[in-house]
Amino acid sequence: MGLPHGVRRAFRWPLSQQASRRDLDEEVRFHLETCSEELVADGWEPDAARAEALRRFGDLQRVRSECRRIDRRRVLAAGLAGGLAATGRDLAAAGRQLARSPGFFTLAVLTLAVGIGATTALFGILRAVVLEPLPYPDPQRVVFVFEGAPWGRGAASAGNFHDWRQHSRAFTALTATRSASFNLADEEAPERVLGQTVSAEYFRVFAVPPERGRVFTAADDQPGAPPVTVLSHRLWQRRFGGDPDVVGTELRLGGVPHTIVGVMPARFAMTGEDEELWVPLRLTPAQMAEYDGHSLLVFGRLAPGHSVGSAQEDLRAVAGRLDAAAHDPQRDLDPLVEPVLDVLVEDHRPRLLVLFGAVALVLLIGCVNVANLLLVRGATRRKEMAVRTALGGSRTRLVRQLLAESLVLALAGAAVGLLLAHLLLPLLVRLAPTGVPRLGQAELDGPVLLFALALAAVACVLAGLVPALRASGVRPVEALLEGGRGSRTAARGLGRHALVAVEVALALLLLVGAGLLVRSGRAMSEIDLGLDTAHLLTARLSLPEARYGEPAAAVAAFERLLEEVESLPGVTTATLANQVPLGGGSISNGLQPEGRKLQPHELVQSDMRLVTPSYFETLGLEPVAGRMLTTADRAGGPPVVLVNETAARQLYPGGPAVGRQVACCAAEDDPTRWRTIVGVMPDVRGGALLDEPPPQFYVPLSQAPPEVFAWLQRTMVIVARTGGDPATLVEPLRERVQAVDPELPIYDVATLDDRLEEALAPGRFMALLLTLLGGLGLLLAAVGIYGTIAWLVEQRRYEVGVRMALGADARQVLGMILRQALAPLAVGIVLGGAAAVAGGGLLEAVLYGVAPGDPATFAAVAAILLAVGGAASLVPARRATRVDPARTLTGA
Amino acid sequence: MTQSGLELVRGTLDMLVLQALTWGPLHGYGVAGVLRRRSGEELVVEEGALYPALHRLEQRGLVGSEWGLSENNRRARYYQLTAAGRRHLAAEVDAWRRYRDAVDQVLLPAEA
Repeated sequence: MGLPHGVRRAFRWPLSQQASRRDLDEEVRFHLETCSEELVADGWEPDAARAEALRRFGDLQRVRSECRRIDRRRVLAAGLAGGLAATGRDLAAAGRQLARSPGFFTLAVLTLAVGIGATTALFGILRAVVLEPLPYPDPQRVVFVFEGAPWGRGAASAGNFHDWRQHSRAFTALTATRSASFNLADEEAPERVLGQTVSAEYFRVFAVPPERGRVFTAADDQPGAPPVTVLSHRLWQRRFGGDPDVVGTELRLGGVPHTIVGVMPARFAMTGEDEELWVPLRLTPAQMAEYDGHSLLVFGRLAPGHSVGSAQEDLRAVAGRLDAAAHDPQRDLDPLVEPVLDVLVEDHRPRLLVLFGAVALVLLIGCVNVANLLLVRGATRRKEMAVRTALGGSRTRLVRQLLAESLVLALAGAAVGLLLAHLLLPLLVRLAPTGVPRLGQAELDGPVLLFALALAAVACVLAGLVPALRASGVRPVEALLEGGRGSRTAARGLGRHALVAVEVALALLLLVGAGLLVRSGRAMSEIDLGLDTAHLLTARLSLPEARYGEPAAAVAAFERLLEEVESLPGVTTATLANQVPLGGGSISNGLQPEGRKLQPHELVQSDMRLVTPSYFETLGLEPVAGRMLTTADRAGGPPVVLVNETAARQLYPGGPAVGRQVACCAAEDDPTRWRTIVGVMPDVRGGALLDEPPPQFYVPLSQAPPEVFAWLQRTMVIVARTGGDPATLVEPLRERVQAVDPELPIYDVATLDDRLEEALAPGRFMALLLTLLGGLGLLLAAVGIYGTIAWLVEQRRYEVGVRMALGADARQVLGMILRQALAPLAVGIVLGGAAAVAGGGLLEAVLYGVAPGDPATFAAVAAILLAVGGAASLVPARRATRVDPARTLTGA
Repeated sequence: MTQSGLELVRGTLDMLVLQALTWGPLHGYGVAGVLRRRSGEELVVEEGALYPALHRLEQRGLVGSEWGLSENNRRARYYQLTAAGRRHLAAEVDAWRRYRDAVDQVLLPAEA
């Protein structure tokens, strides 16, 4: 085509804003000058010609700004299109490059995949358990309200709950709940379902409307109102097959027909736990004046304008006002307000974060390894880079090209990693210890996939940037002149040594964590519970109120049941207790010693154990002082009590507790309020394994204050000591119980060994996972060290040849190589040790019985790393000693 | 501003510019000259208005541009029709003719 001559660069758009602006100015200038030149040629005066040209042109400013606007858009679009095309080209070229070295490709991708996969799987779990908000509106406004107990969070008394509900303005609703289980019986076998007794405000606090029917009204919550229940979606499906007309029908709970008034939607789970139905709590006026028994879990929804802190202040003020007004000695204990989610995930958050940190470390080590591999590749591709640079390839282009390679690696790693995560996530969920809330909801959903992609991007930069900058910084002349031999300077190896040091430091962090958790797990399994757990079977049972509402009837039934169990072949002794060690669910009361008038908050808050006399024999406990309970401690007899050593110390710090009086569990004028301490028992760990034994006191079942049966909902634990394997007794036990009352299921059946195992499981699981991760990190680090030293040896082959030709022996060569290898190892150990000391506090929450700075662990880990690192460098170093000088020097 | 000639109907400028380029690459000033001469000096276009039109056409890929040397030996930006521009022009001209005929048909009886 007849273009005037000029540089032919067809359709080359200016790619920058400045260039396009310059172009526009020049274009306009050309127009105006050409125009006025022609006018001058036609005989115009130059000034007039210029003016005429401008006039014909029109509004110069407007034309300029309009053209600029158009050009800006064009430059942007062109840049985007060009960028995409260039990235596509880079990626394609990177793919071709990598396809040429499948071994390298596979190794790098697998290394990244392990890190990305493990990190992604853990992120999935972390998200479901810790990060995901609870499934109701404004979950962060829903709080627990506890009574501040000496050991922290205490359940609330009905009296305090009532006061808070009446007088505090910090909540739009406040509700009291007590978890309960119900014997659900119809023609089929009796079944035990978990539920909650809740005050009427419950559903307002969680602000979730029912799926069908209605929730409780204030009228439902009145004592004596007709029995009603609200079902969970699950129970509705399971028991009624999703019958649409279920509302209004009846369900027998504990032998009493309850009218079903509503069904809650599937997603409604207050705490992510498994409650399946709700019944009204129905506090009586007498209960609402009761401050001594602490059995209610209180939830509130914060009123607008109130925060957790201000709500707590408000409750404190309420308590203060009422105290001043009433001088009631039983009103007590500072309230504690805490967001529900914080409390629920409290134990799991630090564990999950530590695990997440550990997998992230593995990923980091993986990235360092890939960086190392890329450096080696970079070194072998120096020539290629030199040629490209010599031919005019800009440094930016080369870095882009090399980063594209690591991006392809990272994306492939993420793809394989997601596959791994897909397999790993269900495995972790299945192996995890029980009781982690919301664990079952963990899945690889959108945000988790995005997270994996982000990890890939991070891995790409971490693994790729340094090698890319290094390889692209090649000075062409030097590299080309070097030929194949390479005259290495120490500085060249510095980057790789730094990588080894970093890798060792990361591995050390990981291993220290693993070591501490292993030691912590061992410390836990060495805890002295205070009793022998072998040969003990435990099972819970609950007497329905309808037939056993009278305390005397309940006591009679319990004693009858106990006789049945004791007569079972294989049972040596058996007992009934409201709580067993590691069984959870304590009730506590404040104990008042004689002779000292304690303020409510000074009472010795103690775990109450309601037991039959055979309790101590069955659990193998001997009194420290005084006597045990006997069958002579009966109803109507002198009221007695046993205390454990801690309670005895706190009640009567000065002297023997036996023979002294202690008041509890009953109103001031009740004749059974004051009890004589007849014995002191050894400390036994309470509900939780890791908690120090709390103050405890034992009351004989036959002398139990009548209210206790309501607090406990007539629920007791059968404990049987057996000659042989306790597990074989489960079925006979069930039959015996059902012989007494066919509507009575036993549940929560476990040997005490099982319970101990379960309590140790989280710690063991953490230790196991961290040991696996630590091993993986160690392996990766060893591979990295091996690779680096092998490379180093390869680089110095010529030099070693020269030295050996000049008379150096194998030992000197070995020493030389090893010295070079061990330096970064030592630096890494020191750096990692410093980091582990600095970051050790983060582990504190998951450790038991071992300090985060435990010197033995540090020393052991450092020794392991030195040994493994030394071995990993010894192999290639020995290869150096087998260099044949003659062949090396002649270039063979 | 007093103008002796005809004002352009909106949207026709692009068509005219594309048409002007059918004879070969031209710089903006050249386009202005072609429009002036070919219309028998009837169409009055503010010459400056050509540039936004040219830039817009270039952004839409209907014309391309490159720098070359002009008849008076200056660096000038030459615009050239692309294949897409050629197709676009044909479609525009066709639409324009049908529009013009339709308008004529409505107007004819009134003149008759």
